[in-house]
Amino acid sequence: HRNRKGRGPFRAPLYSDQISRPRHRGGHGGGGGGPGPRSRLQDDDGDVTMVEGPQDSGIPFGKKYDKDWLLSSLQSVCSIKAPICQIYHTDGNKAQFYVEDSTTANALFKVSRKITDKDGYKVIHIICNVTVIMNSCPPPALIHTDLKAADLEHLKQCMAKRFDGSQQALDLNNIRVDPDLVSQNIEVTLNRRNSMLAVIKIIEENIPELICLNLSNNRLYRLDDLADIVNKVPNLKILNLSHNELKTERELDKLKGLKLVELSLEGNPLSGHYKNQADYVSAVRERFPKLLKLDGHVLPPPIGFDLEVAPATLPPCKASYFCSEEIKNIILCFLQQYYSIYDSGDRQPLLDAYHDGAAFSLSIPFTLQNASNLGEYQKDCRNIRRMKDDPTTRFRLIKHTRLNVVAFLNELPKTQHDIASLIVDVNTYTATLLAFTVSGVFKETDGKSRDSFRAFSRVFIAVPAGNAGLCIVNDELFVRNATTEEIRRAFVAPAPTPSSSPVPTLSAPQQEMLAAFSLMSGMNLEWSQKCLQDNDWDFDRAAQIFTGLKVHQWFTRINEEFIYKT
Amino acid sequence: MASTVDFRTLVDQSCRYSDEFVNIYYDCIDKRRRNLTRLYLDKATLVWNGNAVTGRDALSEFFESLPSKQATQGQTTLLVVTAGSVKFDGNKQRYFNQNFLLTAQASPNSDQPVWKIASDCFRFQDWAN
Repeated sequence: HRNRKGRGPFRAPLYSDQISRPRHRGGHGGGGGGPGPRSRLQDDDGDVTMVEGPQDSGIPFGKKYDKDWLLSSLQSVCSIKAPICQIYHTDGNKAQFYVEDSTTANALFKVSRKITDKDGYKVIHIICNVTVIMNSCPPPALIHTDLKAADLEHLKQCMAKRFDGSQQALDLNNIRVDPDLVSQNIEVTLNRRNSMLAVIKIIEENIPELICLNLSNNRLYRLDDLADIVNKVPNLKILNLSHNELKTERELDKLKGLKLVELSLEGNPLSGHYKNQADYVSAVRERFPKLLKLDGHVLPPPIGFDLEVAPATLPPCKASYFCSEEIKNIILCFLQQYYSIYDSGDRQPLLDAYHDGAAFSLSIPFTLQNASNLGEYQKDCRNIRRMKDDPTTRFRLIKHTRLNVVAFLNELPKTQHDIASLIVDVNTYTATLLAFTVSGVFKETDGKSRDSFRAFSRVFIAVPAGNAGLCIVNDELFVRNATTEEIRRAFVAPAPTPSSSPVPTLSAPQQEMLAAFSLMSGMNLEWSQKCLQDNDWDFDRAAQIFTGLKVHQWFTRINEEFIYKT
Repeated sequence: MASTVDFRTLVDQSCRYSDEFVNIYYDCIDKRRRNLTRLYLDKATLVWNGNAVTGRDALSEFFESLPSKQATQGQTTLLVVTAGSVKFDGNKQRYFNQNFLLTAQASPNSDQPVWKIASDCFRFQDWAN
């Protein structure tokens, strides 16, 4: 049907042929009503140039008519029931659309001049132009309007009906003519990129564990748009691509990585290419070495090498790792103090937390560096991968010396951290340093992004500094937007107790001591209590811990342990 | 030693080393995992989503037990802090934050000192899910 040869447009007989007109596709420039070399036989209306196959049809002056009206008018007089129009656009004065095949073309041809617009003009000439179509050409990428949200929802429902949960199988055979979609006028043509991508997205978001997928009868002529499925649906084992338009086995390269066990390709042009079955199987297995069934035929099992280990599972993720109770207390005390100043509105007092030669820098996720509401952080983002040619900026963006560090921190938006949610990983503790990574969530409390939730990962490196205690030498902060899940969980949990041991009831003197200690240290009651408990309710000892003298001793002790263990 | 070299020079040097390290590390972890432990100190610690692994033997076992992965681009700053996305076989792609403490050590194999990882801290951004 599509193989009719032609050389340039030739026009089927129409009464307008009786007029000698220049050989062109029937379009007229100028508006309706303008003077021109028109015959008295011709009304002031538009001509449709229609071409068979994926070529364009045209309705000159079609622009002045509403697309929906035009198409429904055509359809109302036309004998074809299915939607006729693949792509519709206006080009100057012409409205052009594509039709599927010659049957549709002929049917439309018959309705030439049968449609009257509201002004009484006979609106449509249909001229049947059959133009060269030797190979099916892909529809032009002219109008790939993405599916609207409402349509996507319908598509999702439609796919849900075609999904078999017990088999983890999805049947998208000839999806284009699914009554649920047709009745809503939704175009889902899987050989078009936006349709395929929409379908893959729905699978990824709803049924990413999919094992079996049927894409037969969808006129697929290439698999580029399906390639993402390798990453997004990694468990896919059974794939049916039969009765499509794949021309060569090289299309399968785009799906490399899928661990297919069953594949169907019959009814594609590529099937006819092989002289013998063995070559065919071999070519397909090159892409899918684990294949056991091809086109319904069971294959002899492949013989491999015993290199593969059973697919490993990832170790489970855990919360904070502190190394020891002692370090945990030290760090928690430190963080409590640090963030109560950080969130207070004036970060100046943090000067006491930093070493003279401290250095600080900031970064944000790579993909967001050109966009979005992390603007406050963007200009100071120091991603050295992006600065290889700009050592000056690279240098400038490190804040060096505690004055500069704290001055910069004071310029960052005001925050409120969810202390309860902080996760701490202790990287290293040695005789000379303690390095730990804090992650969590905070809210901005002023400025343009007020009430935005951010997530952060912050590496602190601290040293013992004289008799002062924990002193920050390096501070590197990574900020990103919080995910919806993180926002949901933020600020809801009550403050955790630092230890899991049951809290004994306190005697009156203990309660007094607790209140005093909490006041002196600025720590909340829970941590104050912990500190006091750990020190047998000896106020002075507990206070010393807090002011860091013990920290220094701790560093010394670690040093000794380290040496003994080596 | 450090006091005779000015800060600016240190920064530039650090950037160059970090860049080189990141290339080596992520290439190694994708393709030559058996050699990965050689980048670590004998007593290095890895904290992986809250799981602590110390010492070369334990590290070696740990890396062997991970499914194979392809790490992708990240961003680094001074003390080699990276962020990126990674996809382990049979799992979906996930964002991660990672940071390394590198230290220079004398090497039996070369005249020059070599960088060794003293600690490695890795966490998925969505570890709690």
